[in-house]
Amino acid sequence: MKSFEPVIIAFLCNWCSYEGADSAGRSRKELPPNVKPIRVMCSGRVDPEFVLESFQKGADGVLILGCHPGSCHYREGNIQTLRRYLLIQNMLPQLGIRRDRLMLDWVSSGESDKFAAILDRMTCRIKTVGPLPGPTGNLK
Amino acid sequence: MEETRKPDRRPERIGVFLCGCGPNISEAVDLLKIAAFAETLPEVVCVESVPLLCADAGKEILKARISKDKLSRIVVAACSPKEHEHTFRQVLRDAEMNPFLLQMANIREQCAWVITDKEAATRQAKTLIRAAASRVRHHEPLEPKSIESSPDVLVVGAGIAGISAALTLARGDRKVYLVEISPCIGGKAARHEDLFPSLECASCVLSPKFDELLHNSQIELLLLSRVKEVLGYFGNFTVTIDRQARYVDEAGCIGCAACIDVCPVKALNEYNEGLDRRRAIYIPYPGALPNAAVIDPRHCLRFQGEDCTRCRDACPMSLIRYDETDTTRTLQVGAILLAVGFDLFDVENAPRYAYGRIPEVYTSLEFERLANASGPTQGKLQQKTGDSPGRIALIACVGSRTTAHHTYCSAVCCTYLMKFIHYILKKLPEARIFLFHSDLCLPGREAQQIGSKFSSDKRVAFLRMKTPEAISIHEKEGKIAIRYMDLLERSHDVLCDMAILAPAMEASKSAPDTAKQMGILQEKGGFFSKEHPIIAPVSTTFQGIYAAGCAREPGTIEQAVAQGEASAGRILSSLIPGIRLPLEAESAHVDEDLCSGCRLCRNGCIYRAITYDSEKGTALVNEVLCKGCGVCAALCPSRAIHARHFSDEAILSEISSLTCTEEKEH
Amino acid sequence: MKQKPKIAFCWLSSCGGCEESIVDLSETLLAAAEAAEILFWPVALDYRYEDLEKLEDQELDAAFINGSVRMDDQEELAHLFRKKSKRIFAHGTCAHLGGVVGLANLFPGKEGLNEAYLRAPTVSNPDSILPKTRCEEGGETLALPGFHPAVKALHQVIDVEYSIPGCPPTPELVEEAILGLLEKRLPSRGSVLAEKKALCHTCPLNRTKPERIQAQRFYRIYEKIWDPNRCFLDQGLICLGPSTRGGCKARCIQANFPCRGCFGPLEKVRDQGAATLSFLASLMHAATPEEIEMIADSIPDPAGLFYRYSLPSSRIHQSRFEENP
Repeated sequence: MKSFEPVIIAFLCNWCSYEGADSAGRSRKELPPNVKPIRVMCSGRVDPEFVLESFQKGADGVLILGCHPGSCHYREGNIQTLRRYLLIQNMLPQLGIRRDRLMLDWVSSGESDKFAAILDRMTCRIKTVGPLPGPTGNLK
Repeated sequence: MEETRKPDRRPERIGVFLCGCGPNISEAVDLLKIAAFAETLPEVVCVESVPLLCADAGKEILKARISKDKLSRIVVAACSPKEHEHTFRQVLRDAEMNPFLLQMANIREQCAWVITDKEAATRQAKTLIRAAASRVRHHEPLEPKSIESSPDVLVVGAGIAGISAALTLARGDRKVYLVEISPCIGGKAARHEDLFPSLECASCVLSPKFDELLHNSQIELLLLSRVKEVLGYFGNFTVTIDRQARYVDEAGCIGCAACIDVCPVKALNEYNEGLDRRRAIYIPYPGALPNAAVIDPRHCLRFQGEDCTRCRDACPMSLIRYDETDTTRTLQVGAILLAVGFDLFDVENAPRYAYGRIPEVYTSLEFERLANASGPTQGKLQQKTGDSPGRIALIACVGSRTTAHHTYCSAVCCTYLMKFIHYILKKLPEARIFLFHSDLCLPGREAQQIGSKFSSDKRVAFLRMKTPEAISIHEKEGKIAIRYMDLLERSHDVLCDMAILAPAMEASKSAPDTAKQMGILQEKGGFFSKEHPIIAPVSTTFQGIYAAGCAREPGTIEQAVAQGEASAGRILSSLIPGIRLPLEAESAHVDEDLCSGCRLCRNGCIYRAITYDSEKGTALVNEVLCKGCGVCAALCPSRAIHARHFSDEAILSEISSLTCTEEKEH
Repeated sequence: MKQKPKIAFCWLSSCGGCEESIVDLSETLLAAAEAAEILFWPVALDYRYEDLEKLEDQELDAAFINGSVRMDDQEELAHLFRKKSKRIFAHGTCAHLGGVVGLANLFPGKEGLNEAYLRAPTVSNPDSILPKTRCEEGGETLALPGFHPAVKALHQVIDVEYSIPGCPPTPELVEEAILGLLEKRLPSRGSVLAEKKALCHTCPLNRTKPERIQAQRFYRIYEKIWDPNRCFLDQGLICLGPSTRGGCKARCIQANFPCRGCFGPLEKVRDQGAATLSFLASLMHAATPEEIEMIADSIPDPAGLFYRYSLPSSRIHQSRFEENP
């Protein structure tokens, strides 16, 4: 049987976490191909609708990575993200989705090790919990 | 009318360009397979593999194919956009195509370099290219915009920092409005006796600068004035100024003092730190500029309802104007510099120093006036009894470096205490000096040398305290008893005739109001926050508003001058007459047809870039201030805010494309 | 002689409130009955399924359908209407978005039946009998319509030309839709027949909203006495006005009650819950995870509040259940 290869959408902010991803590339870290990156200018651009849309479209996990608190390029865009994130986390189980399918973390431009570790941990976690079940109803 | 809406979109002509990046990409993925896959993507009309796309030959190929194949959208699958997006955008520009119609797929940092399995890396590259080709269809051609701006500048505070900035700006041919709350210029530095480190006479050093200021036609000096309101943004501020009446014709007055001698009222003189009295009509101190009298309506008998006209009768030039009124005026400026200075920590809040209880305990600014030739004692160092002090204590870190008041170091106290030693030894060579400190901070080339000179002088005792607060002052038989604890926790008593405190420097008492008015942040001690503490030290958190001198943090006069000139330089290089201000192209935009005017977007914008048009009932993004972070777009509950280049449509199409992977399909 | 337009009214999974909104038209209804030919209206008159079946295809000019779709018969009826009518009006929030009954989708399909027939405190069912679509009784075969695993909005079953939002819609909106049909001045197909902007635009309290709202926590309605003259959000009470389409004349607000979102999301918003969540997050006056969690925890049922009327047509339109969410 083919092993389960999850799909994980990762929103990366332009200034810190995308740089962190690039520096992971430059130092030739091995990264799981399960993670599919999307670049945004600030993690604060990540609309909760994007997270739900990712799950709806078949993602098994969603990662949001921003600048560390206090070093956001836009001062507090990442704090907006944190507020939304904690509120979504309260709602996900009601929608039948495990909380640990969504993760927010901070990665600075130099933290290539941390970036790689987050990707590994998330992929490992989603492989353990398995695929997100499909919708229960039949649509038109 | 009742027809089905059909999106009539012309199909795009997308070109996909694959870069081998030498061996970097070409050896790690199967570019042939990727090219074949790219050809199957919707609306892709051309796929080209190039060994090194960022080289001149590669760029030529890209440019040629754009025009040959009439491409309308470009996908470049290569390195990180952070490395070469600007390079390829320039190629699009050269090919007369809008540079924003490009999307890069980062198949080097995100595939070739991080996935060792070639097949998996190839699959990932395909996925990223498909997402880019899907996203790029939603790109809009963006035009970099610009606005007209005013090159004029408002400087708040006519202390040494504000004056230095105003002069630099005026030399750059700018109109400067210099607003000062007091009736004279020069701030605190003008009331010093000597200046550190050269120990030259302050008025000798500063007067030429002050004269230049007063005679510069580019600088409009607004004394007795304060900022009432600030509206607008970088390049286009509208500032309202309230000016209090002087009741004396400032331009005509020659400072003969005939009016002052006849005034029957006496009030505490704030320009001598309250150490003596002045009249209700007065000149702040001898040498104050402009040399013109001013009436203080809080004390003048006429303003208390009495029919006194003594000063008017005495004025040989009939320049007294009792009927002058307070005025308000509006200015248009492009930038604002805040040079509002500092205030000293109120030592009465720290009872251990007995300030206010023992008459011979002085603050540093009071001592500057005592030592000053234009001060209350004409520069004679004497006690209030008229006696000459034989033993003088200098106490450092009063309210600084303590958790009880301010934890920071006020940066200049140790150095000016060295200056005070110099004053005392010059004026009272027989005096004994006791310097109480817990760590001497004498940085730089000059201060340490001066400090070393005095520490070997037998008349000066450097007494080290265990902590800044290991000291207390009491009265003992008409003298000042100072008890302190040394490093070995032993207690000592020293008797003195006079004690001079070095209180912490705090932001000006007006700083919170100014910060609110200007919409900027404050740091510890109330000082204005810098845009960035290292690489943007003289700009504040609001674009176009700068801070110099002790308004931004405690510092020396030399630093205040440098910061004033640095701010002026920033302004001169960014606000150039006749040149429009370039704006961020990837900014947010409000769709008025969808905006309900709920104004919640303003909760998410720290740049104050969103205003409300109360007539239309809709929000409006100020493109000058918008930095393009997209927080408001994600927050708008009507999705009426469009984040240019990072639109909902673009990001949602990436999500759809990335979630539909080969792994899932199989 | 000019032919009168032929119209029909019907309800699916509905509480009947939308039918009330038709009756509330009073004189207009009489005028409509005069100007149009009503061929089907089971709530008001004795019509049968066969009457609808007998019509020619596309014979109806318009069918106004209220209620969501949960049962086989409702789905069948919806398809039959689609065949017989030139235009379908989704009438009321249930047909438009799935409605308050759509909150059933927060639970796996069978849970609804289990709750109603086995666990409800007023039910005594010792043999644990659940409704079946077919059973034999005394030699006869009895049939019941089947129960779908999830509630759907009408547009998720058939194509819909127009939607009239509201739980129930105001009589004015219903009147405007009927007159639009009779007077041939309907807007483009696919339109929602209400305002284009969110409720705040017409809310009488919008002008009282301060420049910045900084909520230390959110309150539930019973926890405070509410000032009827001040924006509810500024008082810490969750109001869905910013994320809800206007057109209701702020009926709830004027009764000192916050908006609960029955007119559904705005044109460019698919997910009313996500839009609500996002703006509420920005009001939180907190920056550390602990402080934020405290404020987030003051909303005990976020999904139930944010999606009260629109869950079936949200992004996560039918829940995807995991064993241990």
